[in-house]
Amino acid sequence: MLPSLLLYGLINSVILALTALGFSLTYGISRVANFAHGALYVLAGFAAWVFLNRLQMNYYGALALAIIATGVIGVLIYRFALIRVRGMPLLEIIVTFALGTAVLETLRYFGFFGSHYTLPPLFRGSVILFGVPVDRQRVALVVIGGVLVFVLWLLTHHTRIGLAFRAMAQDEQAAMMSGIDSDRMATLSLAFGAALVGLAAVVLLPLSFIATESGAHILVSAIAVCILGGLESPAGVIVASLLIGYAQIFTVAYLGPHYQMIVALFAILITLILKPSGLFGKQKELEERV
Amino acid sequence: MKTKSLWFSPMMVLVVVGFGFFPGASSMAQQKGQPIVIGAPLSTQYLYGWDAQRAMLLAVEEINAKGGVQVGKTRRPFSLEVLDTRDLEPGVPLSEALLVVEKLILEKKADVLMGGPVRSEAALAAMDLIAKHKKVSILTTGSLTPAYHRRVAENYSKYKYLFRITSEAVQLSKEAVDLFESLKQEFGFDQIFIMVQDVAHARAIGDIVGKSLASKGWKVLGTEVYPTGALDYSTGLLKARDQKAQILFVWMDHPEIAILVKQWRDLKIPALPIAGISSAVEQPGGWANTDGAVAYWVASPANAGNAPSNATPLTMKFYDAYKKRWLVEPEGYGTSSSYTAVYVLADAIKRAGSLDSDRLVAALEKTDMVGVYGKIAFDPKSHQVIPSYDPKEGAVGTWFQWQDQKRVVIWPAPIAMGKIRIPPTLSPAK
Repeated sequence: MLPSLLLYGLINSVILALTALGFSLTYGISRVANFAHGALYVLAGFAAWVFLNRLQMNYYGALALAIIATGVIGVLIYRFALIRVRGMPLLEIIVTFALGTAVLETLRYFGFFGSHYTLPPLFRGSVILFGVPVDRQRVALVVIGGVLVFVLWLLTHHTRIGLAFRAMAQDEQAAMMSGIDSDRMATLSLAFGAALVGLAAVVLLPLSFIATESGAHILVSAIAVCILGGLESPAGVIVASLLIGYAQIFTVAYLGPHYQMIVALFAILITLILKPSGLFGKQKELEERV
Repeated sequence: MKTKSLWFSPMMVLVVVGFGFFPGASSMAQQKGQPIVIGAPLSTQYLYGWDAQRAMLLAVEEINAKGGVQVGKTRRPFSLEVLDTRDLEPGVPLSEALLVVEKLILEKKADVLMGGPVRSEAALAAMDLIAKHKKVSILTTGSLTPAYHRRVAENYSKYKYLFRITSEAVQLSKEAVDLFESLKQEFGFDQIFIMVQDVAHARAIGDIVGKSLASKGWKVLGTEVYPTGALDYSTGLLKARDQKAQILFVWMDHPEIAILVKQWRDLKIPALPIAGISSAVEQPGGWANTDGAVAYWVASPANAGNAPSNATPLTMKFYDAYKKRWLVEPEGYGTSSSYTAVYVLADAIKRAGSLDSDRLVAALEKTDMVGVYGKIAFDPKSHQVIPSYDPKEGAVGTWFQWQDQKRVVIWPAPIAMGKIRIPPTLSPAK
C-alpha cells in the first residue's frame, strides 16, 4: 500500500502544483489575485476541444493554440479590465471573479456542458512503477511538471524579462525607477499566469473531461496551495503542493475519500491562523513578527 | 405586412360579431385552443435533466400531432414549460429548485408538474410547496430516495398529489443484490468492494446492498464514499485490487465517474465493474467519452427502454422514435419514464374529463396501461410505480453491459438481449 500512496501522492502533488503555478506567478509579479484562474482553466480546455474537434486541427497544434489563446485572454483581462482598478486589491478580486463567472456562464449558455467534452491523452496505456500500476498520462504529468519548474527557474534567473519579473516581485517602485514598465510587466504576468493554467488544463483534462464546474475546484485548489506556500513564492507552491498532495492521498487511504475535500480548506484555515504569509511568503512577514 | 392587417380586420369583426350572437361560443373557442401546461422543473444542463426534457417533448409532439388530449368534450394540446433548477450542480442551493417550482406554478400557470426536481434533497424539499398549491406532480427522473413515497403514504391527505413513475433506491438495491446473486451462482463470485458518491441515495444504496450481501454470505471488503466532484479514485481502486475484490460495485451520478472508469482500465483492476445509475457509463456516448475504457462496465439506467430491449411492444418503438428525433439513443434513467409519464397523464386527463387536481389524482391512481417499460400502475397509498421483473406485471428495470461499443441488456432475464461477459483480467471462481 505504501508504494502506491507515495507514487499517487507525488502525482497528486504535481497536479496541484500545475494548477497553482500560474496563480502564484501572476500574484508574485503584479500582486493581482486572479480569481478568473479557474475559468481560464475551463476555457483553455474547451478551446483545445474546439480546435481539435470543430476545426480539425492537429493534436499538438490544437493544444499549443489553446495555451496561447488563454495567454492572450490574460492580456486582454489586464488591458481592458484590471488596468483601471490596479492597486485596489478588493476591486481586482471582484473584477476577476466577475469575469470568471461570466466566462463559465457564457460557456454553459452556448451548450458547453455534459461529459462528452473530452480531450485525448498525450500517452495511452499504463506502466508498472515500484510494483504499482500507473497510466502513462500521469507519468507524463510528473515529467511535464518537473520540466516546467526548471523552465520557469531558467526564465526568472537567466533572461531579461525574468529578471524584470523578479525585480517587480521584490519592489515594484524600485523596479519602476530602474526603467521597468510596471503595466507591461503586469500584462505579461497575466499572460504567463493564464498560459500556465492553460497548459495545466490541456495536460490534466485528458484524465477526466471538460466541465464548467471544475473552474471553482481549480480556483480553490490554487488558492489553498498559494496561501500555504506563500502567495508570491514559486518555491512555496512546490512545497505546499507536496504537503497538500500527500495529505490528501493519506487522508483518502486512512480516513476516507469524503474527507479529501476538507484537506485544502483546512490548510487555508491553519495557515491564516498561524502564519498568514504562508511558509515562504514575505508579504506580511514583518507585520507578523511585530 | 399591410395586406395581412387588411385581411385580418374584417375577420376580427366577424369573430367578435359571431361571439356576440352566440354567447356560448366564446368560452368554447377559448377552451379548444388552450393548451394544458406541463411545468417541468429540471436540471437541464445534466444528463438526468436534458434526457427527461427531450423525452417529454417527444411525447408532447406525438400527442399534439394526433390532435391533443381529450378533456371532456374538447381536445387540447399539451404545452411544455421547462425551467432549469440547477439542483444537480455542486454548490447551487436547494432554494433555487424551490423557486423554480414556485415560478412554474404561479407564473407559468402549470396545470401539472412533471420531471423533477432531480436531486433527492430538492425533491423532498419541494413536496410541501407542491402540496400547498394542490398541483399534481409526476416525478420522472432523479430523486431515488424512498423517503419520497414513504412520506406520501404516511400523510396521504396532504401529499396525495405527488406520484413517482420511475424506480427508487430500495428497488434498485434489490435488483443489484439479485444480479450479484445470479453472478455468484454462475461464476462463484462472492467478494465485493463498494464505491459510492457522497449523496443521500447513493450512500443509502451502498449501505443497503452491503448489508444485504453480507447477510447472504458475501465478503464486503470495503465501502468508500467519494465526495461529489472527486477527481482521483486510484486509492480506492488499488484497495479493491489488493483485497482481491471480484466485483466492484459503483454508484455515482456525477460525471466524474468517467475518471474512475479510465482509472479502472489503466490500473488493470481485476474486478467486474458494476455501476448502478452512473451518468458517464449509462450514456450512449459512454464508449467514445471514455476512449473505450467503459468496456465490460455494467450499469442500470433504471427503467427498460433506456437501453435497447423488447420489454414491451412499445419499447423499441420509443427507442427508435427518440433516436430519430434527437439523433442519439435514449440517454439516461429519466428518458423512458418521462416519455411514458406524458402518456399516463394524457390517459388520466381523458378518464378524469377535467384538469381538477383531485379528479386527476383519482384517475392516476387507477392507471393501468402498458408503457415503454412494462405495465404502469401506481401503489394507491404511496403513489410509487409498482415494480416487477416481468413487464406484464409492472415497471421493469434494466441492467446493461458495454460490449463491442454497444449497450447490451443482460438483466433481468425476461428482457435480456445478451449474456454478461467477464473482463479478461478476472477469472471466474468456478
